Amino acid sequence: MSLKSYSRARAVHVMLVYTGGCNGCDIEIVNCVLSPKYDIEQYKIFLTWNPREADVLVVTGPVTRHNKEPLKAIYEAIPEPKAVIAAGACALMGGVYKNIHGDIPSEEICGPVDEVIPVDAKVPGCAVRPEDVLAGAVAALPLLLDAE
Amino acid sequence: MDEDNKITDETPKKQVIETEVPLGPVHSAAIEPYRVRLFVEDEIVKDAEITVGVNHRGIERIMEGLPVEKANSLTEKICGICSNIHIWNSVLVAEKALEIDVPERAQYIRIIMAELERLHSHLLYLAHGNEVLGHETFSMRLFYIRETVMELLRMVGGNRVQYGVPVIGGIRPRAELDQMKIQKIEDGINFLEEKLSNFAERFISDPMIMSRITGVGVIKKEDALRLAVSGPTLRATGVAVDLRRDMKEYDPFDFDVITQDDGDIKSNLLMRVLENFESIKIIRQAINHLPEGSITNRSWEMQDTPITKNYVEAPRGKLYHSYALNDGRVRHCIIRTPSITNIGAMEYACIGCHITDAQLAVVQCDPCFTCTDRAIQIIQL
Ligand code: SF4
Repeated sequence: MSLKSYSRARAVHVMLVYTGGCNGCDIEIVNCVLSPKYDIEQYKIFLTWNPREADVLVVTGPVTRHNKEPLKAIYEAIPEPKAVIAAGACALMGGVYKNIHGDIPSEEICGPVDEVIPVDAKVPGCAVRPEDVLAGAVAALPLLLDAE
Repeated sequence: MDEDNKITDETPKKQVIETEVPLGPVHSAAIEPYRVRLFVEDEIVKDAEITVGVNHRGIERIMEGLPVEKANSLTEKICGICSNIHIWNSVLVAEKALEIDVPERAQYIRIIMAELERLHSHLLYLAHGNEVLGHETFSMRLFYIRETVMELLRMVGGNRVQYGVPVIGGIRPRAELDQMKIQKIEDGINFLEEKLSNFAERFISDPMIMSRITGVGVIKKEDALRLAVSGPTLRATGVAVDLRRDMKEYDPFDFDVITQDDGDIKSNLLMRVLENFESIKIIRQAINHLPEGSITNRSWEMQDTPITKNYVEAPRGKLYHSYALNDGRVRHCIIRTPSITNIGAMEYACIGCHITDAQLAVVQCDPCFTCTDRAIQIIQL
């Protein structure tokens, strides 16, 4: 393990981007960070709101039309190596907003997330359980640590 | 970042003031994307403007034409914080239109869910408020207390966020309460009451916090009424309006309508702290007098109905749902959430604040923009 990955493993910064879901997933992810019960900081994972400081991007929601370009811009702003976690049914397949009418496309929704930016880890659930978010974040770590 | 966000760029400035400070759409103090433009002179906010619309998903449009059961469960996805109240109100609309009687036991369990949800929403508000205030210890404590409510919600509804308890004519069989669950709820609210009074005591007696939030972000009573503010934010200015008083479901319960006088951040925070105790009171009455009997009424028939509307008291204020039924499908669906009128109060509360208090002044009105992003502005071309 190089010095860089050694230190990186001790300060993983997660940025949460909300792209138009119902807020349920976001509350649960913030709950992961702030609630003493889950306390993601014990794994040395911290929440940040600055893309330039972040290593992991957590995206929730089905990506509404207004959010598409900002999401791409945020993704671009994160320095390499980076990992993207899509959390929640909305982020994985558009959720109820996209699919409820069968094949008729919705003009408001540009998702799912992996059609907009590349996704590395997927956390299912509506809403996601905090335990699963922890598992997802931990699963994304090798991508950061093994990078050249 | 928001080059193609045309709503914000074309919005005219209300006055010509030198400095403009934009906050958001993605900002640390605001979990949800919305944009606040603060027009600042000498670090004092002279004018504020809130723009929403980033997360417009067209939920009413999606609901249009769906079978009513499906549409009901879709309303739950409007907001992840107050999901139960949305599905409840939507079910109430159908029940009102089709004149369905709901068994009393189901009524009580719905109330338990609604009040648990109010608890979790208010606790989240307080935790978020304290975090914006910069007091992370309180914030973490509140998240710790809130976890009890989340566990109770998961136990009754089966999920931590989307519970889907009310169905037309009663509640889902999953949410039936047996003796063990009732016992757990009782233990939970006892624990909650103890921890909350503990918190309230410390919060009120903390001179540093109190001096920080007293007299900041004031919303006056007349202005609150003029801006059609609703819910706890209105009650914090001294107007005793609570739609729960008018709902027949709440008739058997004894609770007080809490009001505060000042309309500042302190009143708003205390308001929610005290309302939590009322919710606990209602839940305790409900589990102590839970009637026996069935939980669903299946003897109803689908008919075509005209547009029916219903109001309920959501954790944030007055919530309106209306739709007509045609062939068992939803038509002309309109939903209005409390935050849409509270936006006026948020802008108003910022004015005159120091710039560091502006975010707090917005947060004091308990913004929830996921459910708000359905407003349509008609622009004359
Ligand atoms: S996955 Fe479910 S809980 Fe999460 S944002 Fe979408 S609708 Fe809300």
